[in-house]
Amino acid sequence: MTDSLQAIGRIAAGGLEAQSTRLRIVSENIANARSTGSTAGAEPYSRKTVLFQAELDRELGASGVSIKGLSEDESPFRIEFDPGHPAADESGNVKLPNVDMLVEMADMREATRSYEANLQMMKQARSMISMTIDLLRGS
Amino acid sequence: MEPVYLFDLATRHAQWAALRQTTIAGNIANANTPRYGALDVEPFSTVLDKTRLVMASTRPGHLTPGANGAAEVDARATSDSWDITHSGNSVRIDQELMKANEAARDFSLDTNIMRSFHRMILTSLRSS
Repeated sequence: MTDSLQAIGRIAAGGLEAQSTRLRIVSENIANARSTGSTAGAEPYSRKTVLFQAELDRELGASGVSIKGLSEDESPFRIEFDPGHPAADESGNVKLPNVDMLVEMADMREATRSYEANLQMMKQARSMISMTIDLLRGS
Repeated sequence: MEPVYLFDLATRHAQWAALRQTTIAGNIANANTPRYGALDVEPFSTVLDKTRLVMASTRPGHLTPGANGAAEVDARATSDSWDITHSGNSVRIDQELMKANEAARDFSLDTNIMRSFHRMILTSLRSS
């Protein structure tokens, strides 16, 4: 019984780790929102996303979460006319990263919400374990 | 008078609540996993119905029905999820937290039943 309660801690910790990685990728994207190439016509920074996958824990029958990997956003880059820029091509266009601040902010809020939910599960599991231990204390 | 196996019942219910909580934790951890369907354990009443009486086996030749008589509780996909997002994920965090609260309340009921029943036993011991 306590084993399955302890498993809650493990699963929730996996969730916390996955969401914090996602948050880290969001901050990378925002930090590189205007990272262009340095040579003429070079590709800029391309937005990254995290892939989650469910991972079944055989002994418990419950599934935790793990990170399958990172992938790059394939959407087209923004183009801006700036002939003086070192990364400008012959017609004076500069490719800017395909990072949309609004999307990143929404992603950040969702990651924070999921993080809080995992934290809540951890707290609840801990209070359930201490309820069991309190039985020993007698009255 | 029918004997009531209160300790056994409370223990089993607490086990079920703990398992349910584990399943909910798995759901919440996978709240953003594409194509993940929310799981839930079967209700406690059906678990009780499946539980069999175990016969003692005193010789190797005796037949033993199933394992140790403790019913297997398995997680299965829920059908009452509030909605499914575009990525095919059917976990709603608010719904899961509600279920988690329910399971924690069940568990607290069990531990309190055990505590008061234990106190009753102690009272009968002391009075003699």
